[in-house]
Amino acid sequence: MISDILGSKKSCFETGVQSVLRGQENRLRLAVLHQGILTTNQRSEENGVCAIVYKNGVKGFSSMAEFSEEAAEKVIKAATENANYLRKYASSEKVALPPINSQLINSKRFIIDFEQKRIIDLLKQVDDYVVAHCPKITSRTVNYREDTMEKYIYTSDACDGHVAYPRCRIAVCLKMPAKDGSTVELFELVGGFGNIEDHFKSLDKVYEKVDHIYKALCDKAEGVYAEAGYKTVILDPRVAGMIAHEAIGHTVEADLVMGGSVAGPNLGKKVASDKISIVDYAYTYQDGQTPLPVYIDDEGVPAEDAVLVDKGVLTGFMHNRETALKYGVKPQGNARGYAFSDEPLIRMRNTTVLPGQDKLEDMIASVEDGYYLIDTGNGQADLTGEFMFGITAGYEIKKGKLGRAILDTTVSGIAFDMLNTVDMVSDEVSWSPFGTCGKKQPMAVSMGGPAIKCKINIGGR
Amino acid sequence: MADMNNMEKLFETSDFIKDYFEKQGDVTAQYSVSETVTREISYIDDEFSLFRTLFDSNVGVGIIVDKKPGKTSTNSLNKETIKETLDNLLETTKSGMADDCFGLAPEIEGGEFTMGVLEPDIDKLMERAKELIEAIKNEYPKILLSQVILEHIRTDAVYRNSNGTEDVTHKGSYGVSLEFAGKEGDAVSGISGSYIKIDNLDTPFIELGRIRRDLEEAEMSAKPTPVEGKFVGKIIFTPECFMSALRTFRENALSDGVLIDKSSPWADKMGSKVASDLFTFSLKPWDSRIIEHEVHTVDGFRSEDFTVIENGVLKNFCTTLYGANKTNGKVAPNSSSAYVVEPGDTALEDMIKGIEKGLIVGFISCGAPGVNGELAGVAKNAFYIENGEIKHAVTETMISFNLITVLHNIIAISKETLCSGDWVIPYIMADDITISGK
Repeated sequence: MISDILGSKKSCFETGVQSVLRGQENRLRLAVLHQGILTTNQRSEENGVCAIVYKNGVKGFSSMAEFSEEAAEKVIKAATENANYLRKYASSEKVALPPINSQLINSKRFIIDFEQKRIIDLLKQVDDYVVAHCPKITSRTVNYREDTMEKYIYTSDACDGHVAYPRCRIAVCLKMPAKDGSTVELFELVGGFGNIEDHFKSLDKVYEKVDHIYKALCDKAEGVYAEAGYKTVILDPRVAGMIAHEAIGHTVEADLVMGGSVAGPNLGKKVASDKISIVDYAYTYQDGQTPLPVYIDDEGVPAEDAVLVDKGVLTGFMHNRETALKYGVKPQGNARGYAFSDEPLIRMRNTTVLPGQDKLEDMIASVEDGYYLIDTGNGQADLTGEFMFGITAGYEIKKGKLGRAILDTTVSGIAFDMLNTVDMVSDEVSWSPFGTCGKKQPMAVSMGGPAIKCKINIGGR
Repeated sequence: MADMNNMEKLFETSDFIKDYFEKQGDVTAQYSVSETVTREISYIDDEFSLFRTLFDSNVGVGIIVDKKPGKTSTNSLNKETIKETLDNLLETTKSGMADDCFGLAPEIEGGEFTMGVLEPDIDKLMERAKELIEAIKNEYPKILLSQVILEHIRTDAVYRNSNGTEDVTHKGSYGVSLEFAGKEGDAVSGISGSYIKIDNLDTPFIELGRIRRDLEEAEMSAKPTPVEGKFVGKIIFTPECFMSALRTFRENALSDGVLIDKSSPWADKMGSKVASDLFTFSLKPWDSRIIEHEVHTVDGFRSEDFTVIENGVLKNFCTTLYGANKTNGKVAPNSSSAYVVEPGDTALEDMIKGIEKGLIVGFISCGAPGVNGELAGVAKNAFYIENGEIKHAVTETMISFNLITVLHNIIAISKETLCSGDWVIPYIMADDITISGK
């Protein structure tokens, strides 16, 4: 645990120079049972301080693997020297960033540590359940991972804060022979924001998920390849969440807009069906807590919701303080760094497609010949909005009814084109709280969505 | 070399850990104490905008007690913190389960290894960067350069284990990373990138690796078109693209987990043909083109080069000591990612001329393939080839094949290789790939 010892070092900020000092700890708790054997048993901590100094349009940054007042003084000094050095290569002077009304912002929840024995005991119970209830599997892996992050943020001209992001989950991966002799696999995650007490006081939910993927894996073992082509599909909420994050979210991050993203020239324009609205939420969703509540970012900006697409119209980008100034808007708290040694980048928080009014069963019934795509392993998109998601579980839909399971495949499309084909949106949002986004640094994110009916390219044979 | 005070601190910390474990009795331990200094300069939105200096340290410890494994790390060199970390590690390890197969290499003769360039010349690095940016502006007018990241990373480390091995390493290298897109009017291509690790600043950056070709290809990609229909054809994997495939082969067919649970498609293929005769693939941390060598494996054996697949025949798995004990196999002679694929005898231009209908593919955007190797992905940074000529960049084009069996379908390997500083790989051409467009 880190403590509040750095506040007095704000006195080391150079007068009139916009500066941020951050102290941070990241902790990892990891245990892996493979075939019943504990192959990984790990606990680790990383902490330290960093400073970022914005001076005449350039930024100096320095970090040190030591959480102390002395280290804070050193990084402020080194960051200032770096900014001075880089100034020699800057082509123009820039104006100062608009100040932000200062206030102290603290998280509502902090981190609780648990003994490794408890973690391993949990895994053993889950593993025993798998052995007892999944007779056809040939391989099983059960793992627990807890990534927590705690930060103290001190700024010269914005808010100060103390925030924490505790997250933990149990993952179960099962493998089984397919009918052609190859091996098929599926995995499932349970957990989210919070700690063991929040998610694993009872393991009933984990067992329920094990039952679910075992059935899906048995179906997949008898599965068929999807037929490649442009198809009508129902994207389950888990897959639709990936649309919100990968296909739209990244294209509206202002740094990528500046890099030529397709979203740039489309601000204010109709880019999707009227049924599509997408929001990057900060800390509340429908009167409850978001799966990853962010109250303040690492530049000291209070977090607010960012509306990205409203009834099909592209309404905004996500910003840090610098890009917000460039685009003439208010920053909304999207700048976050992963480790104490990472500079804040523009990152999503809780990005979701908003719910519609349709029922999932009606959506499936409306498809003559297509697919119901249930789960995704990963996704990617680029500046053009061309995206892909790996599909790990799904079923054929024939004449409005679910058919055979399909084997792993990939779907792809151009985000705005695909979103213009959406004609049904289900009335319930489901969140995936375990996301880790890769963009120079990893970052905890969550994503959500309702089920969506659309047309999409599907790979296959 | 690190200054003496820093090295003394690393040795002092290592001595502290050694004393700690000696007092505990029967603990098998290996530990590494390191310090890393990273300098990184970012050029973003037409400006040098960020200069970072990072002072990091790390203590990584793995132990086996009563045949139970445990692992920890901390980035603090403070003795009190380390003691607390080690106390916790012992406690954590007791919670584990015993397996005879966990182990550690016997003592090997230690050494001191110095690699790459330890002291950066930041002024020269900046001059080379300015020269690169000017060259791109002058020679590649259709390039939208979104980011250049320049870095120098230097690490000094002391590794020891309870069987008596001690290695000291000093390594440093520069890295140059570019992110860019092609632009024509409002049309912008997908994102492209180049990364290269180097140990000197003698060569203008624009001439390094595949940077010029990547820029040329991005300029041609601002207005891509989909491939028409669906057909079975040939594709050429660029070296970067094939590098990603090699990582998947390792994970899905050659590593501990899939060999232990026998889900690897190659679990019973040792000594058998798994690829075309043309294909020879090794892990060579000591290759002179690799800048930073792995000196010992994750289990404490001295790292040695070895061949995984020789002329299409599977010769070795990538197993650790645990994996080898568990499967009654051999321990792989290194655990590095220094992938080296032997070049062939066909010029890249001739490979292109040999394609009637197909693609050259820089990146496959796809879900991580399962152990069965089935892959369907979007061809990115890719060009359509017809009658031996590159016709146009493609979009909305998917390719499908089996990543394991495709090795049998390799029909040509280029003379040209790309060396990233971490790996050396040629262009690889394979047949029987399903290509589907609109």
